[in-house]
Amino acid sequence: MKLPVIPFIREILSRIHDTHRENAVALTKVEMEEMENIFALLVLGSFVGLPAPPTFLAVELLPFMERELKILGRRAEDAGDMLAEMCGTLGID
Amino acid sequence: MKILFFTGKGGVGKSTVAAASAWQISRRARVLIQSLDPAHNLGDIFGVSLGDRKRKISDTLTLQEVDLQKLARDYLERETRVLGETYRYLQVLNLDNYFSILKYSPGIEEYALLTSIERTINEETDFDYLVFDTPPTGLTLRFLALPSVTITWIDRLIAIREKILEKRYTIQKIRRPLKEGEVPREERLKYDPGDDAILQRLRVLKSNYDRLNGILRGEDCTVVLVFNPDMLSLRESQRLVEGLRELGLPLRLMVDNKVTGLNEEMAERVETVMKQTAPGIALERVPLSDGLYCGKETVLYRIMKDMGDRF
Repeated sequence: MKLPVIPFIREILSRIHDTHRENAVALTKVEMEEMENIFALLVLGSFVGLPAPPTFLAVELLPFMERELKILGRRAEDAGDMLAEMCGTLGID
Repeated sequence: MKILFFTGKGGVGKSTVAAASAWQISRRARVLIQSLDPAHNLGDIFGVSLGDRKRKISDTLTLQEVDLQKLARDYLERETRVLGETYRYLQVLNLDNYFSILKYSPGIEEYALLTSIERTINEETDFDYLVFDTPPTGLTLRFLALPSVTITWIDRLIAIREKILEKRYTIQKIRRPLKEGEVPREERLKYDPGDDAILQRLRVLKSNYDRLNGILRGEDCTVVLVFNPDMLSLRESQRLVEGLRELGLPLRLMVDNKVTGLNEEMAERVETVMKQTAPGIALERVPLSDGLYCGKETVLYRIMKDMGDRF
């Protein structure tokens, strides 16, 4: 089956366009995830020995924090090699 | 509606003074007196048996002893249920019951106490006066501080959450909108503050606590400090005055309770120090009568007689 040329080129251009957009948001995304990580750390800090808000506040928010908890776990795993992580984020080889 | 908190060191006679005051006020207004002390003795003072329910002992006076443990348990059960619904998949593995460990969280008792007061203020609008007999100093100061501490935390958390939503908004704006039926390669996160459950919850909590804080610091709220003529009671009362001042709570009356001929000199000294600690605050003395020991009069009668028409 022959692929029509114009839609094919359009698809390629669209992908290139998307890639540029993704590159543009990459740093903002990292920043956002870091903030979500900080948010989770502040709310659930007592789990890791940080000063925490009154317990009931953590209990009130806990049911809605699935995403933040996942990020918290992932960041904890990556924390062993933060330099590499930052270099990767900033595109330093 | 006027709100009175009777506070002081354990054993100084808070409950009795609170009961006598409530009785006195009930001669001209509708009063609900609620004991928040885990070691209840309100029922004993009035010679009636109280459960967790309200009990009317005259047309204008209603008594209630709050079961704090039950309140804490109810609150945690509610939260555990919400957690269980969010993490429903854990039911498959029978792991959802493990959330029940939350009931051992520290600080829940203070929260239950504050929730109870908040609920009483919101729901008991038929009364002209709400009289609260509070637990001993430490717990009382902690729960009275809770709204201010919580508001500080909530403000910070709201600020961070709003920043997160701003970032999400920026990301969504840079990315192109999805075509019809297109599945995104990555999850598209909600950025509208109205759609964010965490921000919504924080805002509701903030408005509740702002309101409660306003009531506790307002004109209609009075804190009465009860103490005895002894050094231990004096030191703790001084700390309580300091704590109330820091929290901006309105101390309006001090009661020197259980003064006898034997400790009168000490009573004078203690009262002088208390007047210096809390200048401008009215101070009443309530003597300890021998009639009590002889069974000639009740604690309630004595205090009502000695306090005069203070309230």
